[in-house]
This record gives sequence, C-alpha cells and structure tokens, in this order.
Amino acid sequence: MERTCVALAVAALLTVSLAGTAGAQEAPVEEALLDAAPPDSVAPAAPGALAARDYLDSNDAGDKIELDWELSPDDGEGSCDVVAYRLWRSQSASSPGELVTELSPGQTHYVDQNLEPGAQYYYSITAYDGTNESAPIACAPVSGRVNLFQTTRLSILVLMAVFFALVLIFTKLAERGAELFVRRIPGLNAIEEAVGRATEMGRPVLYVPGIGEIDNIMTIASLTILSHVAKITARYETPLIVPTARAVVMSAAEEVVKQAYAEVGQPDAYNPDNIRYLSDAQFAFAGAVNGIMLREKPAANLYMGAFWAESLLLAETGFEAGAIQVAGTAMVSQLPFFVTSCDFTLMGEELYAASAYLSREPKLLGGLKGSDWMKVVTIALMALGAILNFMGFESFVNWFQTQ
Amino acid sequence: MNVFEKMLAIDRRWIFLAIGVAVILPFFFPLGLPVVVTPPVQHLYDAVDEIHPNDAPLLLSIDYAPATLPELEPMAVAILRHAFERDVNVVVMTLHPAGYGLAESALLTVAEEMGQEYGTDYCFLGFQPGTSAVILGMGVNIATVFPEDAYGTPLAEIPMMDGMRNYDDIPLVISLAGWSAAEAWVYYAYQPFGQAVGAGVTAVMATDFYPYLSSGQLVGLLGGMRGAAEYEVLIDTLDKGVQGMDSQSIIHIMIIILIVLGNIAYFGARRRRKLEETEAA
Amino acid sequence: MGTLIWTTIGAILTLSVYSFLYKDNPFYKFAEHLVVGISAGYYLVIYYYNFIDPNVVTPVFQLRLGDQAIGFGSGAWWLALIPGLLGLLLYTRFFPRVAWVARWSLGIYVGGYAGLGISPVMQARVIEQIGANALPLTSVTNVLIVVGLLGTLAYFFFSMKHKGILGALARVGIVFLMVGFGASFGYTVMSRISLLIGRVSFLLHDWLQVV
Repeated sequence: MERTCVALAVAALLTVSLAGTAGAQEAPVEEALLDAAPPDSVAPAAPGALAARDYLDSNDAGDKIELDWELSPDDGEGSCDVVAYRLWRSQSASSPGELVTELSPGQTHYVDQNLEPGAQYYYSITAYDGTNESAPIACAPVSGRVNLFQTTRLSILVLMAVFFALVLIFTKLAERGAELFVRRIPGLNAIEEAVGRATEMGRPVLYVPGIGEIDNIMTIASLTILSHVAKITARYETPLIVPTARAVVMSAAEEVVKQAYAEVGQPDAYNPDNIRYLSDAQFAFAGAVNGIMLREKPAANLYMGAFWAESLLLAETGFEAGAIQVAGTAMVSQLPFFVTSCDFTLMGEELYAASAYLSREPKLLGGLKGSDWMKVVTIALMALGAILNFMGFESFVNWFQTQ
Repeated sequence: MNVFEKMLAIDRRWIFLAIGVAVILPFFFPLGLPVVVTPPVQHLYDAVDEIHPNDAPLLLSIDYAPATLPELEPMAVAILRHAFERDVNVVVMTLHPAGYGLAESALLTVAEEMGQEYGTDYCFLGFQPGTSAVILGMGVNIATVFPEDAYGTPLAEIPMMDGMRNYDDIPLVISLAGWSAAEAWVYYAYQPFGQAVGAGVTAVMATDFYPYLSSGQLVGLLGGMRGAAEYEVLIDTLDKGVQGMDSQSIIHIMIIILIVLGNIAYFGARRRRKLEETEAA
Repeated sequence: MGTLIWTTIGAILTLSVYSFLYKDNPFYKFAEHLVVGISAGYYLVIYYYNFIDPNVVTPVFQLRLGDQAIGFGSGAWWLALIPGLLGLLLYTRFFPRVAWVARWSLGIYVGGYAGLGISPVMQARVIEQIGANALPLTSVTNVLIVVGLLGTLAYFFFSMKHKGILGALARVGIVFLMVGFGASFGYTVMSRISLLIGRVSFLLHDWLQVV
C-alpha cells in the first residue's frame, strides 16, 4: 500500500514537472525524490549545527537573515535518503512556526528575505526523506539590523555636498553684496518690450505660468518672472491676465501679483478676477486660454513655465491673433514649438537664469552660480572618467552607478 | 504676386484638408508598409519575456488620459496580450484620475479576450493620487497604499496578491504615461529600490527619456504609436498600432514635401524681392 | 443602441472641435466649454471617491482604514486628520483677514515635495549621466556625444561672457541644440499625427463602422 502511494506520488510529481509549473526551487527536490533510496519508516539523521546571523551586507535594510548549517550524515552518505532540508521560522521559542522553504540536498546556505527589521526570529532545520522528518536542529534567536549608510550611494552624498557648498558660498557672497556676474540674456529685453507694446496698444498682457504643479521648479521660476512682469504692468496700469491650470498655482499667483502691485504702490489696481483657474485637464485648459486670446485679444503673450502638448496650441493661436510672444521653458520637447512660433524664447536654464537676473535675489543668484560651477565640476569628472575608462580603470565610472 | 509668394499665401485650410484625406485613405486602401523593430522596444519586449509565468507579477501602471489614448492604449493592449499569452500575472494600477476608466477598459477587454481569471491571473488596484508618495509607499508595503483593489476586495483576499509585499516581489514595472508619471517611476522606484522600470510614452516625450535609457535606468522604451506598432509586430498580433502606420508614413512624406516646398517658396520670394529692390534702385 | 448614442455624441463633439480648423464658431465654443465643465466635475468626483473619502473622511469619521477598524485618537486617526485640516486651511485664502494661514499649508506642501524630489532627481539626471557619458573618444558616436555635451553646457554657462573658446564652444552647442530641437519637433509631429489617426479611427471604425 505504501509503495503504491509513493508510486502515485512519483507519477503525480513527474506530471507536474513535465507541465513545467514547478519553480527552480522545487525541481531539485523532485529529482532527488526520483533518485532516492526506497522509502522506509526511519527518519534521516538531523543536519549539523545551524547558525543564523544578520545578513552581512553594508547596504542592507535589515530585512534579511543569513543561515548556514552542516549536511546531514545521511545526505549522500549513510542511508543516503535525504531529499530535502526543511527550514522553519517562528517568532516564538515555543512553536516551530511556518515552513519557509525546502532546499535541495547538498545545500548548506540560505538567505531569508522580506523580514521585519529588528524583529526576533527562531529558526530550525530538519532533514526530510520524502516520508519522515528528522529531529529539528535550532539556533539562537536572531534579528536583522538596518544599515544606516548605503555605500553604493556615496557618490550622491559627495556630489550633493559639493553642489550645496557651491550654492551656499555664492548665496553668502551675494548676501554680502559681492558683485556676481551673470551675462544678460537677450530674451529678457523682449519681455519688457512685449509689455511696453501691450501698454501702447491699450490691450492686456497674457501671462501663462504653464501647467506644472507648484512643486515643479519651472513653475517656481515662472512665478518669480511673473512678479517682475506684474510690477511693470502695475506701473503702466496695463491689465495682466494670468490663467492657471492648478488650483495651488492660482493661489500662489494671486499672492505674487498682489504683492507686486503693493510694492509698486498700486494695490487698488490689483484685479483678482484676472488671476483665473481654468481647468486641470490639459487640453481643456488650452482651449480655454485660446478662448481668452480670441475674445480679450491680449497684445503680448508670455509663456513661462512647464508646458506639455498644449504648448503649440497656445503659441499657434497667439501667433494667429497677432500678439508678440515670448516663451520660456525647460521642457525640451516643447522648445521647438516655442522657437518657431514665438518672437523670443528662453531655452532651458535661461528661464532660471532670467528669474535670478531679474530679481537679483541672493538665493536665486547663488543657485545660478552654484549650478554654473557644478557644470565645470561635472565636465571635469566626465573627462577624468573618460580617460580612466580608456586606460582600463572602470571603477571610477562605476562609482557613479548608484544601482 | 509671383509664384513663390502665391505658394506662401496658400490658405492653410487646403493643407488641413490634404492631411485629412491622407489620413483617411489608408484606412480604405491599406498599404501594408513594413514596421522595423528598434532596440529600445526589443529590450522592453525581452524584459517582459523573461518574467516567470504564474509567478511574481508584472506591474502595469496605466497612467494616461483620453487625450493621449491613441498612442498609449495600443501599447497597453499589446503588453497585456504578451503577458497573458505567456501566463504572466499582471497587476494594473493608475496614477491619473482619468486613467481609471481607461485602465479598467483595456485590462478587462484583453483579459476577457484571452480567458484570464480575475484574482488569479490579473487584478486591478485602481487609482491613488500623490504620484511620488504612492510609488515610494509601494516600495515599502503595497497594502498601505492600496489596502483594497478597485472593487473593494482587501488585497490579502486576492489569491495572486498573497505574499506580495513590495517591489522585491515585482520583477518589472511598466508605466504608460503622457505626463511625468513615467519619470516619477524612475526617480522613486528605480533609484531608491532598484526596481526594474520600463516606459511607454507619447512620441513628444520620448526624446526626454533617451538619457534614462542610455544610462540603464530604464530597461526599455516604447515611443508613441510607432512603439506600439513595433511591439505588436513582436507579439505577432497586429492591431491599431500597425494599422495607423500607413497613414503615419504617408503624412510624414507629405510634411517633408511641404517643408521643402515651403523653404523653396520662402528663399525664392526673398531672392525675388531683393532682385526687384536692386532693379528699382 | 446605448453605445451608438454615446459614440454619436462623441463623434459630434470631435467634429465640432475640428470645425475650428475652418474658423472659430459656436459649435467649437460649445465643445470647449463642455469639456472644461465636464473635466472639472469628473475630476472632483474621482478625487473625492478615490482620495478624500478613503484617506480622510473614512478614517476620521467612520474610524476605518480600508478593512481595519481604527480607534478614535489613534495614530492612524491623527495621520488622517492633520493633513486633512492642513488641506482645508488652504481655503482660508478666500477670507482676507485670515488669508495668511494658507501660506503654512502651502509651505508644507511645496517644501515636502521639493525635498522629496532633490535626491532622486539629482541621481537620475546628473550623477547617473556622469557615469554614462564618461566616454573614451574611440568612435565617431562617442566624439559626437562628448562634443555636443560640452558645447551645450558651454551655451548654458552664465558666469562668463560668450567670448573666445567659450564663445566658440557655445556656438557649436547652439548647432547641436537646434539639431536636437529638430529631432524633437519631428517626434512631436509624429505624435500629433498619431492623435489624428486615433480620432479618425474612432470616427470610421467605432462610429460609422465603415472599416
């Protein structure tokens, strides 16, 4: 009866392995089962001492435990009937817990993963011959420790420290009144010219701060330029319309414009109805802004910030309407449209440089100068990496691969 | 008006009409132009091909909105067909509010077509806002971000999600997005957790993603409807992606011709004007 | 029949928007206003049922988090209540006397997301790129990549005037930039055409069912 049961089990397992559903871990156990000695009622000898420790990796999150044990005397020798080692894990000393995995004969090492960092685990291991299981061999309780520093990320720490140091140094210099040279960006003259033209024609200025969220750096730079533009329009009493696609950006734009009007001494000229939230939906926003362009006919359109596919819709309609257009964005994919359909374009970092140049805020100037000199550091590192790479020393370049 | 000025003054509505006709005709008279597979698409296909059947699932983040549907839905359908054909389990989620209906529609349509069972072969987690927070949260524990699936079933009760904790249990994430969601997966899943990430983006955004591809931060990239067409060729199931390529090719040729003619007209008119000014002087 | 009605409505709205190509007209205006209104309402509902309800309303008022009961005053309850209150405080900007309170919420929101983004963005866009672009000049491709990279960085260097070697490099950089923009433009044209193809496919296949 026993032999029949085992034969049926073997046949079933054969079918399973032929169907290809067995994973890599199970296959060796089945093969061992096929090669094993005929079954008996005697359990195999227990494996040798089991040792468990925190996974010795300096970049570990504390969720792995490493286990080593000695082979059972019946593994490949003696009665030669060990078909698997069964690893058990519990969080209490009084129970064997759950079966973690079955390992093939000959294995003496395993790394248990996805554990709770800091939690205490009790491990035991048994030898299994397909029918009988040996007495368990346990080890002292063990817990995983989180390694607080990831050595693979050292390059990030070093380079960010260099970058922040540069930014802080230049910011401090700017705060102390040092003359920090920033070359004039041609597009800036165009912004003032555009606002001047709108004033002469008695038509409003349309300022679109993009459709990015408030945490988008382009939106933040755009709001700085908006402040500058708002001061000019306040001085000349030119209406300024600011359509936004995000409620939080509208909040921020209202603050910026109101503040700018107050600084120029024209708080009553501020019209909150001109700062409008239109729609979160990209093309609905574009459609609504196009509507503003066609109905309210602004003479100057300023597109500053983060734009996506709606950029060409906006710029094309503005071009058709005959407005003077100045754009500024760091969205590489949208720059071609602005370059072809606008009178001037601030490309990429020129947008951030413009906000620093206009405001002369120490923090913005410091950031601009810091990033400029960081470019020099980057070029030097790349050149050094290229030379070392060419000479066969790849470890320097590999240091920058953080994964 | 000389011939060059007449060319420059052509009413653009004639061009719109010509483009419209050029798009429509191949639907009635298909040309069957060949689609050549490029390395970024091949790499993404290979990455999906390497996932073990009936084991750890592919996580497909369908992050597009109706506006980018024509480019990105064919990608979603092709990837789902590839996965289901190989019995790879699939978990679908979305980071875009408008993506909920679109993700569900694509998933259920392909699953029904290929006889897949909900809960065993695939599941739909639904939508959660806060892109970076969601992606980071899933790296620690998926259940804290999505305690239930889109239909209110706790994750622990879904057979294929049993034992799935975080990115350690997911071999590959693919984000299909027409906005910055695909980048967010690189920043918040690949960088902190080493999660393998692939992306399918609109052709507009594809240029932004080549630096991630060349530096190994993305395993593969599908760009626009063309990327979807290439994937359809690889899985040998031609659908909307390939169907659109005939129209795409004809329009591209037309645009090249228009650009050449436009430049000839522009420089010709300019030269003619200078000659007239010289003669007048 | 139901699908045909909705498909027909979608087709009419598609054609209304495309009518703008001829000239601005009431059909286009109607479609434009409709999409603005519907998208606002749709997103409001989606955000409420997928975000505000499970993350704020249910934990605070129904004392549940998913399928787990949570106690009044428990850690999870506070974690739902405090951010919810901060979000509500954003609405104080409608009341001039207390409008300054909204800046606290805005500050936390902006600061949190900015901080979250600094390290991964630096890793992905700068540090990994240093490693990937430290290329030996052993092939034409590598030379082009390195020259283009140096030229582009030189163009965006604002601390010195573009004169001498820097000026020459910046001019080379502009050429590479414009070639890059051209390639990007081409990709974008392809993208736009794909969207048109998608719409035409909808009209011919889903609506008229002639192909």
